[in-house]
Amino acid sequence: MIEIVIASLILITLGSALSFRSPRSVFAISIVALLITLIVPEFRSYTMLVVAIGILNLLSLFIMDNQIKGVDYALTALIAIATVYIVFTNDLAMILLAFVVSSIPTYVLIMTSESNARVDVAVKYITFMVLATVLFIAGAVVMVYANSVDASHLFSLGFIMLIVGLGMEVGCAPMHEWVPDVFDTAHPIPVSIVASIAKIVPFVATYKILIMTANPLLTKLAMFVALISAISMFVGNVGALTTNNPARILAYSTVANMGYVLATLVVLIDLNWIYLAFAGALLQLMANAFGKIGFFVSMKEDGASNYLMYTLAFSFIGMPPLIGFWGKLFILLSLVKVGYIWLALILVINSAISVPYYVRLARILGKPAVPSFVNAIVLIAVALTFITIVPPNWFIDLAKAIIGGV
Amino acid sequence: MNIATMLFLLFATPVLSSLPVALAWVYKRDGWARKLPILSVFGLFVSLCITLYILFCFPEGVYTYPWLPEFNINFVFVFDYLSKYMGALTAFIAFLIGVYGLEYMKHDYRLGWYWFFFNMFTASMLLVVYSDNLLMLLIGWEGLGIASWGLIGHWFKDDDELAYVGVIGRKVGALKMFWSPSFGGWRAISTIRFGDMPMFFAIASIYALTGYYFGTPTLNISEIPWDDLFHKLGTAGTVILLIALLMGPFTKSAQLPFSEWLMTAMTGPTTVSALLHSATMVAAGTYLFMRLSWYIEPWQIRSHGLEIVYAFVLFIGLISSLYGALVALGCRERKVLLASSTMSSLGLMFACSASSLWVGKISLYVAFWYLITHAFAKATLFLVTGHLIHATYDRFCCGNLELTRNMKMAFGATILATLCLSGIPPFTAYWVKSAMDEVMHHLAHDLGETPLLMLIAISVIYSAFLAKFLSLNFIKGDKPKILHLHGERLMPIAYAIMVSMLAVLLYMMLNHAEPIASKFVEKGFETTSLAVGLAVLVSYAIALVVPKLESPLGRFLGDRMYMPALNDLIVPKIGWAIITAVDYGNRAIDYLCHKAIPKFMEVCSLKVRAIQTGSLKRYVKIALGFVMVMLIVSSLIGW
Repeated sequence: MIEIVIASLILITLGSALSFRSPRSVFAISIVALLITLIVPEFRSYTMLVVAIGILNLLSLFIMDNQIKGVDYALTALIAIATVYIVFTNDLAMILLAFVVSSIPTYVLIMTSESNARVDVAVKYITFMVLATVLFIAGAVVMVYANSVDASHLFSLGFIMLIVGLGMEVGCAPMHEWVPDVFDTAHPIPVSIVASIAKIVPFVATYKILIMTANPLLTKLAMFVALISAISMFVGNVGALTTNNPARILAYSTVANMGYVLATLVVLIDLNWIYLAFAGALLQLMANAFGKIGFFVSMKEDGASNYLMYTLAFSFIGMPPLIGFWGKLFILLSLVKVGYIWLALILVINSAISVPYYVRLARILGKPAVPSFVNAIVLIAVALTFITIVPPNWFIDLAKAIIGGV
Repeated sequence: MNIATMLFLLFATPVLSSLPVALAWVYKRDGWARKLPILSVFGLFVSLCITLYILFCFPEGVYTYPWLPEFNINFVFVFDYLSKYMGALTAFIAFLIGVYGLEYMKHDYRLGWYWFFFNMFTASMLLVVYSDNLLMLLIGWEGLGIASWGLIGHWFKDDDELAYVGVIGRKVGALKMFWSPSFGGWRAISTIRFGDMPMFFAIASIYALTGYYFGTPTLNISEIPWDDLFHKLGTAGTVILLIALLMGPFTKSAQLPFSEWLMTAMTGPTTVSALLHSATMVAAGTYLFMRLSWYIEPWQIRSHGLEIVYAFVLFIGLISSLYGALVALGCRERKVLLASSTMSSLGLMFACSASSLWVGKISLYVAFWYLITHAFAKATLFLVTGHLIHATYDRFCCGNLELTRNMKMAFGATILATLCLSGIPPFTAYWVKSAMDEVMHHLAHDLGETPLLMLIAISVIYSAFLAKFLSLNFIKGDKPKILHLHGERLMPIAYAIMVSMLAVLLYMMLNHAEPIASKFVEKGFETTSLAVGLAVLVSYAIALVVPKLESPLGRFLGDRMYMPALNDLIVPKIGWAIITAVDYGNRAIDYLCHKAIPKFMEVCSLKVRAIQTGSLKRYVKIALGFVMVMLIVSSLIGW
């Protein structure tokens, strides 16, 4: 695997260098760099999904003119490769590296726009990201150390740092303050990248680290996770109810979705069901990625086809057979299996609260269908939400395989 | 022809044979369509032939055909003493009334409707009669309900004064004392449904409980281990289960306080009343109770709960019977008088069947024979009444000797029917009533003399109003305003045959043609029975001479002791109270969903978004503050 990754990285680096001459060629090279990761047969369905998200991000960058044209493709491809690689490695250093690699490029991307660089936005974003990265890495290291010397006090401290870092990184309440501001003021295309592919690595990394350092103390500490996830769900869904600004709606929707995904971490108290929780988390992240790409890209042209917008909204609401339904279903099942019924109930209530604003969002962004590049990108995103039209048992097997190796 | 085909024909022919007229009536309402009812009556005739074949040629036993075998629910037909006689009785009476109806309903505007429901009524009753499976019985039972609704409200236009019950326009306080056909139909179906619901749940419970206690769930009356079931359920359980189950029979057979629908069921065509009051519908209730008692064998079971239920049924029956007799005594409307007399008889059947717990199986035979006697006599009286209403255009009792000269056959039939039904020696009902006296006398040890005394009082009043009916309609009544005879043929023939059946029954008893009924004759020669017979005869004679007696008490009885208030004032009030409560509930939900929750959500949402001031310093304070709090809390827990 590592050879393929190195090859991809070399390709990307060369591409970035080329960007002075021809930015368009970097686009092609980045896509090739992503596609060659498919050579590896292991976890290929995961790789395919990540590559699909990566290519969607690249396509959406294609319709945006910015200050670093050319390099932006390379940076996005870098995140995608880190996202592919994270499932292959069980080495703590590599996991943390992937975490950083998937995070840093967004600092630059978030600043880009079609006119002036958005420095004020970037300052808010970077401040929170730096805090988050430091907390996450410190927490991970402390946990591993605490486990080796059997210091439970230290372990719980490390755990909290890790979870709080994660929450800050992805935008869980009450550390979500940056999300509405950044999503609202930055250019929608970079935001679509921050909101989609950049969310996957932090969660996979957290899963890997927590399983590595599995400790009986988790039973107690899971309550913190449940608490943050519940707060996150409520803040996200309730916050989104009273705004007509699509970017803000999507910002709060991200907060809520990260709450759903975070909830799955409580399943760590019973490792028998962890594969189901992981499948739910991963599927929910995919659903979130497709939906966010679709909505943010459509905002570039003040909307896209009605049908596409409503389908994405339904996927977020959780209507079968769309991908959003299965993500929530697996999460709910895993929560019920380990006895966190109240959290499952809160999740269901929150899904209900979310219905009005998703429908409103679809109504705001929905337009009569016209052939355009934006509609084409959104169409691909919508098509991908249908991959679960047949009940995705394969996804559970995939989750089992990824988790089983740790 | 095998048995399955025959049973299929038994139930299907009446319904199928009524379809031509039912369908034709949608498109054509004259000419050949008016001839089609003959086909319906032919269907009833086929059923009659089959029931007679069953009566005479079938061995007793149970026949099972698969329906839902995996749930142990099947089409189970039982042919025993009760069902064989009852089936033949039902089919015979339905057929004769059908023949009568050909003429009576000749000019009606809704023949398709009438014949379809009439035949369905008969088929449903036959299903109830022959069913051993409670679920299958329930189908017939509900068929009776829907058909009775259709038939009672047959003249749905409410435009014919003759079809009403009560004096039109009369009011007592807030209570309207007259009822239209459509309202009558509604009163019937609503009362019956009220009883059917608990019955339905009771049947479901029996299925579940037998499955729970004995492994295999069953609904076959003859198969259920009643004794064990009652012991497992205990006193309270038994009482609840049986009372719920008997709510169906109580409402169907119009026992107090569910009697009102029967009185206003007289808004239907007289043929319907005749059928409804003799062998179907109201008889279904008592029949079901007899059938249950037949297989429960309460005289073999020592269960306190069962004793409570049977004593309850006994006294409800006697009280209803007394109420019915008193109302009939005060009533001036031909059909309503007969209706309340039916209620009285049904009460006696219930009471007599219920006494089986103390007396044994013989009381079931007595009750059943009383049912048969009553069916023929009451059918005759109703058919005569129909003819009288046809001739005089009057619902109220009227008619003198002049009328009698023109309607000799009706007069003769009425005399015979009243004599046979009232219990005057040596006519049919006398022997049955003697046996009933004996049964009630046996209760003295356990329940005192009250049942016997009540029975004697009822018998005396009963014969008085029958004589009153005879006298007011044929001898001493007012001169009818109109007397218009159409030269009817079929109608007199029908009630003549019907009343002659009472003579056949008498012959069967006296000549020992029927082993069980002939036992009653012995009781008839006892002194007490003769004394009661004499009292009955005296009251009959007095009422014949003095049929009318104006008094406030009589008006009170004639107004059915103001029981209509229960149906028309009190129950609707309860209904309105529920509706009002539901309305408030609705408004509360509306307010909650449209005002309170959205407002609350809006406030919460604005609070959540109030954090976003755009100041990074504030954001970092909040986030880091939270991190610090979490770290401190986790440190505390870690220790």
